[in-house]
Amino acid sequence: MDMELITRLAAAIGILGAGILAYWLANRLVLARAALRVDRLGDIQPGRPTLLYFTTPTCAPCKTVQRPAIQRLAEQLGDRLQVVEIDASANPELAGQWGVLSVPTTFILDSHGKPRHVNHGVAPVEKLFKQLENIN
Amino acid sequence: MDENLQKVDHAALRVNQALIILLGILAFVLDAAWLAALVALVMILGTLFGKPGFYFIYRYLLQPTGLVKADILIDNPEPHRFAQGFGGIVLASGSLALFLGASVLGWVLVWMVVALAALNLFAGFCMGCAMYYWLGRLSVPGFTKNPAPGTIPGMRPKVKLS
Repeated sequence: MDMELITRLAAAIGILGAGILAYWLANRLVLARAALRVDRLGDIQPGRPTLLYFTTPTCAPCKTVQRPAIQRLAEQLGDRLQVVEIDASANPELAGQWGVLSVPTTFILDSHGKPRHVNHGVAPVEKLFKQLENIN
Repeated sequence: MDENLQKVDHAALRVNQALIILLGILAFVLDAAWLAALVALVMILGTLFGKPGFYFIYRYLLQPTGLVKADILIDNPEPHRFAQGFGGIVLASGSLALFLGASVLGWVLVWMVVALAALNLFAGFCMGCAMYYWLGRLSVPGFTKNPAPGTIPGMRPKVKLS
């Protein structure tokens, strides 16, 4: 293969890697900002992890994919997990404060109420499980 | 609902963004300025016809095969057209720079378009749309639309067509 092509391919991979890193850092920033807003969510009880779920009544993937995944998770974990659902269209200010760009968006909060993971878009049940395992 | 708002198929916009990203990266890897120029042309033509540039691929290839389904949101189409047109002009400028031998400038402009398309595709933030709404706030003639209710300018609307 042509050396110049390989160099350009490596450069493209490097730039994409930098983009992924930037995205990861942006997510860290969202979590850090969210940590400052947890106390405004009165529903959260300390002592067990929380799944904070931003949705809207008209969000199709929320109904067909995300909610069933969360229900499955809640059934399996029972009292060990609390799920707090927020309608982003009814609470746009809160959604903005939490850095919600689109729905569904899910946050995993540890038992101290600290946001540890954020998922923009549909998060499969396996991914949510892994994230909950990570914080324990 | 705001009477100015319309149905906008965000699946078509996402396909357009994905192809801009893919072809932009391919143009860089293959050092093919002509490919960047072609993408710029498709984007500009799409803007002139009021559609995402690669709408034909979505409509006649991806939708019939069921690979991508429509995602209709209540939104303004104008900011998306502006964003695409602006991206097309930046990409055309990048291509021109490449043809004139200014390869660093050219590829920086190409990557800027790729990065902004990726920001829109993966994070739901349309920088060109945000620019449109900012220009509207500055009362620049022609930039008259407002974002969908409860939507931060540039961010993907949350209200789906029921």
